[in-house]
Amino acid sequence: MMSSNTASSSAVVAGSADPAAPRRNSKKPKYSRFTQQELPACKPILTPRWVISAFLLVSVVFIPIGVASLFASRDVVEIVDRYESDCIPPGINDKVNYIQTPGDKSCNRTIKVPKHMKKPVYVYYQLDNFYQNHRRYVKSRSDAQLRDNSSASDTSTCKPEDTVNGTGTLPIVPCGLIAWSLFNDTYSFSRNNLQLIVNKKDISWKSDREHKFGSDVYPKNFQANGTLIGGASLDPTKPLSEQEDLIVWMRTAALPTFRKLYGKIEVDLEQNDVISVTLQNNYNTYSFNGKKKLVLSTTSWLGGKNDFLGIAYLTVGGLCFFLALVFTLVYLVKPRRLGDPSYLSWNRNPGGR
Amino acid sequence: MSGWEWDRVRVSRLGTRMGRNRNNYSTLNERVRSTRTTTVRLGHVTPQAPGHRTIYCNDREANQPVRFKGNSISTTKFNFFTFLPKGLFEQFRRVANLYFLSISILSATSISPVSPITNVVPLSLVLFVSLVKEAFEDWKRLQNDMSINSNLIEVLLDQKWEPIPWKKLQVGDIVRVKQDGFFPADLLFLASTNSDGVCYIETANLDGETNLKIRKALERTWDFLTPEKASEFKGEVQCEQPNNSLYTFTGNLLFQKQTLPLSPNQILLRGCSLRNTEYIVGAVVFTGHETKVMMNANDVPSKRSTLERKLDKLILMLFGVLFTMCLIGAIGSGIFIDRKYYYLSLSKSVDDQFNPGNRLLVAVLTMFTLITLYSTIIPISLYVSIEMVKFIQSTQYINKDLHMYHNETNTPALARTSNLNEELGQVEYIFSDKTGTLTRNLMEFFKCSIGGEVYGTGITEIEKGIAQRNGLKVEDRKSANAVHEKGFNFDDARLMRGAWRNEPNPDTCKEFFRCLAICHTVLPEGEESPEKITYQAASPDEAALVTAAKNFGFFFYRRTPTMIYVRESNVEKMGKIQDVSYEILNVLEFNSTRKRQSVVCRYPDGRLVLYCKGADSVIFERLASVNDDLRRVTREQLEQFGSSGLRTLCLAYRDLSPDMYESWNEKFIQAKSSLRDRERKLDEVAELIEKDLILIGCTAIEDKLQEGVPACIETLSRAGIKIWVLTGDKMETAINIAYACNLINNDMKQFIISSETDAIREVEDRGDQVEIARFIKEEVKKELKKCLEEAQHSLRTVSGPKLALVIDGKCLMYALDPTLRVMLLNLSLNCTSVVCCRVSPLQKAQVTTLVKKGARKITLSIGDGANDVSMIQAAHIGIGISGMEGMQAVMASDFAIAQFRFLTDLLLVHGRWSYLRLCKVVTYFFYKNLTFTLTQFWFTFHTGFSGQRFYDDWFQSLYNVIFTALPVIIVGLFDKDVSATLSKKYPELYMEGIKNVFFKWRVVAVWAFFSLYQSLVFYCFVTASSKGAKSSSGKIFGLWDVSTMTFTCVVVTVNLRLLLMCNSITRWHYISVGGSILAWFIFIFIYSGIMTPMDRQENVYFVIYVLMSTLYFYVTLLLVPIVALFGDFIYQGIQRWFFPYDYQIVQEIHRHEPESAGRSDLLEIGNQLTPAEATRYAISLLPQERSKHTGFAFDSPGYESFFAAQLGVYAPQKAWDVARRASMKSRPKIPLKK
Repeated sequence: MMSSNTASSSAVVAGSADPAAPRRNSKKPKYSRFTQQELPACKPILTPRWVISAFLLVSVVFIPIGVASLFASRDVVEIVDRYESDCIPPGINDKVNYIQTPGDKSCNRTIKVPKHMKKPVYVYYQLDNFYQNHRRYVKSRSDAQLRDNSSASDTSTCKPEDTVNGTGTLPIVPCGLIAWSLFNDTYSFSRNNLQLIVNKKDISWKSDREHKFGSDVYPKNFQANGTLIGGASLDPTKPLSEQEDLIVWMRTAALPTFRKLYGKIEVDLEQNDVISVTLQNNYNTYSFNGKKKLVLSTTSWLGGKNDFLGIAYLTVGGLCFFLALVFTLVYLVKPRRLGDPSYLSWNRNPGGR
Repeated sequence: MSGWEWDRVRVSRLGTRMGRNRNNYSTLNERVRSTRTTTVRLGHVTPQAPGHRTIYCNDREANQPVRFKGNSISTTKFNFFTFLPKGLFEQFRRVANLYFLSISILSATSISPVSPITNVVPLSLVLFVSLVKEAFEDWKRLQNDMSINSNLIEVLLDQKWEPIPWKKLQVGDIVRVKQDGFFPADLLFLASTNSDGVCYIETANLDGETNLKIRKALERTWDFLTPEKASEFKGEVQCEQPNNSLYTFTGNLLFQKQTLPLSPNQILLRGCSLRNTEYIVGAVVFTGHETKVMMNANDVPSKRSTLERKLDKLILMLFGVLFTMCLIGAIGSGIFIDRKYYYLSLSKSVDDQFNPGNRLLVAVLTMFTLITLYSTIIPISLYVSIEMVKFIQSTQYINKDLHMYHNETNTPALARTSNLNEELGQVEYIFSDKTGTLTRNLMEFFKCSIGGEVYGTGITEIEKGIAQRNGLKVEDRKSANAVHEKGFNFDDARLMRGAWRNEPNPDTCKEFFRCLAICHTVLPEGEESPEKITYQAASPDEAALVTAAKNFGFFFYRRTPTMIYVRESNVEKMGKIQDVSYEILNVLEFNSTRKRQSVVCRYPDGRLVLYCKGADSVIFERLASVNDDLRRVTREQLEQFGSSGLRTLCLAYRDLSPDMYESWNEKFIQAKSSLRDRERKLDEVAELIEKDLILIGCTAIEDKLQEGVPACIETLSRAGIKIWVLTGDKMETAINIAYACNLINNDMKQFIISSETDAIREVEDRGDQVEIARFIKEEVKKELKKCLEEAQHSLRTVSGPKLALVIDGKCLMYALDPTLRVMLLNLSLNCTSVVCCRVSPLQKAQVTTLVKKGARKITLSIGDGANDVSMIQAAHIGIGISGMEGMQAVMASDFAIAQFRFLTDLLLVHGRWSYLRLCKVVTYFFYKNLTFTLTQFWFTFHTGFSGQRFYDDWFQSLYNVIFTALPVIIVGLFDKDVSATLSKKYPELYMEGIKNVFFKWRVVAVWAFFSLYQSLVFYCFVTASSKGAKSSSGKIFGLWDVSTMTFTCVVVTVNLRLLLMCNSITRWHYISVGGSILAWFIFIFIYSGIMTPMDRQENVYFVIYVLMSTLYFYVTLLLVPIVALFGDFIYQGIQRWFFPYDYQIVQEIHRHEPESAGRSDLLEIGNQLTPAEATRYAISLLPQERSKHTGFAFDSPGYESFFAAQLGVYAPQKAWDVARRASMKSRPKIPLKK
């Protein structure tokens, strides 16, 4: 019996080898790891250990960064002075009319330095409720015109500030609403009756200066459109690439509250220094109840004063640490054995298929 | 005879008209009753065009003016010229594409904040990819058509047979079809090489029946066989216009000034093939698309997956969100706009969109602006990505899966459509055909019992299955003397080579073998030697029995109408071979009511014996009441055979005395010659002689299951899939196979609703159609109600038995009536398995539709024949069995596999993965677009609702098509929760798909929540942290710096989020995710590094370099993505920890196992038993309980007519045949009397 078994099984083997022999016109698919879906893969399983370690890792990385950036932010000394309502002479009710009427609108402010400020001290103006990111506003410029003298008449996107009185013959350079509404308050600072020089060079990004604003493009017909003046006028003898206030202004802000760099004071300011600011309050934010603020600030390696990043890092880091603890506790108190078949749904309620 | 035929055809036509003219039904019923014929319909019968066509045979010129259609067929969707317009039209029928077209148009206007590029680039890319795919698929169809059209057929040209391609064939041509050839068109049968003008055809392609049908040419045309003679044939055929009714044909042949009526008996339909006939000659009647089979081929309805339909709802919801967002923005803009913002210069002439004077108009226009701005919320590349993923899945994975390649037939799996892949992962109901799908339609003599002794040691497929389920591996061992040929697979030395002479009762053995050799209606064919002879039998069972006799040494080799010649070995003494001739006196034929067949024969020595074989129930009733012991033993053995899935027959004999026989024979002849009720009378006469039988034993034939069917069914049912068997076979056969497949077992409570009850038969005998219909309906209603009550009762008890329903076609016809349908559905949904037998193709489709529409479950139909086509098309997914001859099922199917067992791989592996992957793809798309668009939305609040865009045009247009496109496709292709082996080891995992766990609204809501969270993190964190100076040189960021920063964070996060949701990460994941992030940086380096000559307006020039020159960039880039992913991470951690999905547990169980090399079966349990012990043990584990089921399943469609026709007697359709045909009718058109 046994011998016959072996005989037949060997016969079976011999028989099965036959069809396996290569035959012509075989439609048998070729083996490849791709088509058989057997590509090597790593199969991460989010086990409790992984979750806890991930949280710990995040907290270990985040808390130091958070501390560092918070310190950086705290190091920065920032003085903010809101002046738009104080600089209206008392007794004037129609602020808009006041600001739109030509005349001297100088205004004096005094600022006390709370802490030693290392040079350079940056001077910013901050506007509020000013929608530089409004679609109509953002579009209203001609990059070609700003870049290149030969495209001076390329003002199609600048309406209504495209040509003088809309005649079409005299293009405004720089055209558009952004340039037209250029900020025109000016500040001068003195300490102990000693003038503090405000350096207005290199307040814009280098790439803007060198590539977006042509050195051969000079302001033309600027602020000559109609009666209402939007803002500052430009020196027609200086090319746009040197008009840094314009360049700064034309890098439109992302949000309706924004700061723009005005200049740099290249000396240290000591604690308790009293700085008197003489400002020309020309710019109209009264129409839309916008605030105007003067900001003096130093910088750190991370930029100006902004606690947000530090706080965010610390919060997330702390939260992760806390979660790591909670998960560890849960893991210890009520562990789930990995791959416990009793968790399979068909084992949990065998009747409830 | 022809006159009778003509009559029948006329009635059929009246029958068709019956539906239109309901008032005449009573008179028509008279006609119907008198002839017992009814029209059979497959689907909708097209109303006949008025008039008729006249065909001049063998005369191409005469047919010229009529311009009949050619014989070429075309199934393509487009041609060269219609491709672009039609293809584009199809594309724009998709709402998403149409939406993007209108957005593109809108963005070309001034109202748009974005340039047209933003929408045109993705749209055209999407259209291009889709069109290429369409073109490719149509090209494949074209090639298929071409190969069919260029098959060769011999046609009579200049008195010679010339082979021409099928497509050149014309109406009226005379063609010659050789054996096993397919008919190229619908032919009028003229002549055959068979002597009496008959030919045999196989109609498997039309109705799935593999038995041979007989067609008989008109006697007048028998001679036109040779080319010389045939060229003289100049007949004129007047016939009906082309229609799709397969079983009717009316027409006349005008020939030699005579009008000869034509009937379906002279028509050979395209799609059938010629068998057992050297060749035939025919004239072409209908060609190409006008053939009946083509008229029956409906357009394959294009199917959309359930997931995609749900996706539509998701998209619709996104439209809702979009609309809400736009509305909020629009209202905001109307309120915001004010002249006080003088720097916007709103006081002068200003365009409508910003005119504070008309705030309503401002709002309306802003609405449109915002729609273009937020258009990214609708994921345009979603559809094309899904299509791409599915296309690769089907062409690369399903078509090339080695596990679904069938070596024997050289057939790989074939996905014929690629848009149902994920549907395969959600199937809950499988409707399966029996023959050819579950079984091989191959009957093999497997075991027998002679005089109470069981012979045959083989183990059936089902026994193996049971053993395997009990954890044993049974090896198929055969002893050296096992004999295996077609129809015979028997392993027992005790009966072979005359060894039976040493058995306890050799005389019974002798009777047994003689009964096998004599009592049948088989025709031997070919050379009269045991090796070369072939048996032509109407049913493979019979052939198997005769083959068995041959192997036992009783070689039946010749038959004449009155004699059977048997070469008997070892009868008188060992080694002696003698030819014995038995005179056949009477044949009492098999039919479904008798369930038995008897032959009265006279031995050469004058002994008169009646041999009888049949179902145990009928034989046992008629046994002489001696030897009750043998009876009991045999019954036990029958039950054992039955539970092993074998088909059994009992054999008995009776010695007759000449006197008694003579008196009986007179009655028989009388009955035979009676004109009325001949059948009934014959049955009654048979009863007189078929009694006092002596039991010889029984045979067990294995209806060979396809390989691995029981195991597959077991796996599938563990996966929560319910399998219904829908078959045209008899109830016994169907139940038998259900047992064999383990669909029904003895533990189950069975509900059987059958029309074969005495009560119904009685009413049927009275013949009043209206009464029959009413009565059966009442009966069915009663039964259904009873069963439903019982079912509900047993479901209420906790450990009630599982339920099974068996229903036959005729009852089903009434049960599908709208009033009973709900009851049927309720009952059948409560049953674990359902078997429908004797069902027509249409009913198969109706049952499928019932579950599909009524229960709203995902259905899958699988079948191999043309009779399964309607079912295949009706189900959500149709699967055809390929590798066999018929291609009809495959052509109608969505997927074609070679074996039923490949369903395991197709559903549990491919389907499940596909479902998982697509769920991930869809939800991920939803997430990434929503997140992206929401950041834009938050920005809108800070721009005075002006619709200023946050991101550059190119960022926005490339976000979907480049920066986030590839990784999600990689996930759609490679993500795997558990390996294929584990998918099959834990079939229960499949239930997650059935329950649609991964694409519920809850899942979408979770994603939406995290989208919201992430978008807020992106927007708020970046803007909040960007306030103030951002470098030690005190300079300030502008809008484009902030937006680029945000965009960088979005791209990084969204790509990393993808890794977080992957179950398996291949290097392609790393490459694509890394590549996408890198692509963004490369893009922005180049894009912001160059000044384009075109004025880009808001300039992002140098932005990235400015950003990267600050430390702020890096600090933020570390913070924001981690904070954004923080929420998802916690969610996933908690979910996995406390509410794990099943697949996650399985992952954990097998986390230390390396990916199995190849999907080798992990289930092989190494046992220490020897193979012999293992087998014995396996057998001992088999269920030993007694069941009533003994496995009688001797089925033979067309059985008697076949034999009778061979003898030159044309037998009309028998009762069961008529019943069956009648049950194939869709519904009685007769209004029922209330």
